[in-house]
Amino acid sequence: MAQRSAHMVVSDLNVWYGDQHALKNISVDIPRRQITAIVGPSGCGKSTLLKSLNRLAEIGGARISGRVLLDGVDIYDPAIDVTSIRARVGLLAQKPCPLPLSIYDNVAYGPRIHGLGIGRLDDLVRAYLQAAELWDEVKDRLKAPATGLSLGQQQRLCLARALAVQPEILLCDESTSALDPISARAVEDLLSGLKRDYTVVVVTHDLAQARRLGDHVIFLWLGELVEQGPAARVFAQPAQARTQAYLAGEIG
Amino acid sequence: MNRQRRRHLEQRVFTTIMRLSLFLALGVLGLILVTVVRKGLGALSWNMLTQSSTGGYYLGSDEGGILNAILGSLYLAAGATALALAAGVPVVIYLHAYLGRSRLADLIRLAFDVLWGIPSIVYGAFAFTLMLLAGMRASLLGGILTLALVVLPILVRAMDEVVRLVPSELRESTLALGTTRLEMARILLRQTLPGLATAALLAFGRAIGDAAAVLFTAGYTDHMPDSLGRPVASLPLAIFFQLSSPFPAVQARAYASALVLTALILAISLLARLSMRALSKHVVR
Repeated sequence: MAQRSAHMVVSDLNVWYGDQHALKNISVDIPRRQITAIVGPSGCGKSTLLKSLNRLAEIGGARISGRVLLDGVDIYDPAIDVTSIRARVGLLAQKPCPLPLSIYDNVAYGPRIHGLGIGRLDDLVRAYLQAAELWDEVKDRLKAPATGLSLGQQQRLCLARALAVQPEILLCDESTSALDPISARAVEDLLSGLKRDYTVVVVTHDLAQARRLGDHVIFLWLGELVEQGPAARVFAQPAQARTQAYLAGEIG
Repeated sequence: MNRQRRRHLEQRVFTTIMRLSLFLALGVLGLILVTVVRKGLGALSWNMLTQSSTGGYYLGSDEGGILNAILGSLYLAAGATALALAAGVPVVIYLHAYLGRSRLADLIRLAFDVLWGIPSIVYGAFAFTLMLLAGMRASLLGGILTLALVVLPILVRAMDEVVRLVPSELRESTLALGTTRLEMARILLRQTLPGLATAALLAFGRAIGDAAAVLFTAGYTDHMPDSLGRPVASLPLAIFFQLSSPFPAVQARAYASALVLTALILAISLLARLSMRALSKHVVR
């Protein structure tokens, strides 16, 4: 089933940072309109795998081999326009990172550069701020600097900004870890609602969050894939001894 | 002596050294200011600020002033900073948006560091040779071009360091919206606008205070600056010429000119501080 509806297929992905072999022969599927949770201890390559899915890893100087298919098209094909890939595969970063613009312009930025919503930008901004459940808090100060918002609000603004580009897939790199518990829960609840319309991939070292959010789980260990599969199965009956030990808190 | 007392003594010795160093550094600055004000304020007159060096100015006559040098210096420094910005901003964008963390980028930085270290008289001599080849005379344009060369490395490295401080998350988050590298660079520049303004000011301050670079290339004149193709006066050279005069009255005017130059730089720094507050409105963190 996963094979039939996989939105992205990663095969034999290898990533190096200099001499460091960060990801080794990774082959995983990212099922469509589900939440895939990438879990594993710090430094196991979770973020690297995530950022290989929209070609952000290479910005940090990574060397990459293998294939990453997005609806059957290899995103590492030299002929492909990387900006179009990133417009389809968005990112919600670990720390809230508003652009140095107003609240309105942060959300309008993506639609503007991609020529979306011409003539109805106001509606678009409103719709995505509502989708991120931020509209009521900011509707009276849309022209104010985004930096005046609280961290939790900033992260929801970043979510609205990412969604406004109208991606198919959203990558979340420990997107709640820099927030206070209440804001973190608010963002997490938003993410869990997104799978109706989007394919979501979250990286988290918080196993409880992975259990709450994940439909599909990818478990990495020191750059290697240990196990992947439906969350219910992996959490209840891990096939690998290392997964079992990690879930039990014995390693990692 | 027990360990506890030794640690406290160590701390006291080093704080004393730090305070002494601070006192020395600020003391020298204070002494310069006191000297310039004490020796220059008496010679400063309304005529000096509003007239060009006419009549017997350099012989100690009460007529005439250094307005030609004040304006000349402002034109030279503004022109040089503008030119260096026009050349420097693309270099910084290229470094950060296209080269990233590569060996080539580090080599380019090294090259600019070397250029930064070259004395301005060498730039002056180099530019003068080129000007002779091109059949150019000492002129405002020659001075602007030479000073632009002097401040370009300062400007590029200062802007480079500012842009380098931008958290990598902002770059990634921006690129993840599907921006081109150029669009990302625009966001980076916007984020660093206050720092870039400071860099431009640093360059302006360096340009307005440099004597060696303009000695051959801009020349000197008693006339007001009126054309890019003609020689122009500058404050550093005005100070130099007045200080070399045998007349005590003219020598005192050298200090008055130094006071004017110092006040100009102070005013520009204050303006920068004020404008920075307006510029950092949107800046993250």
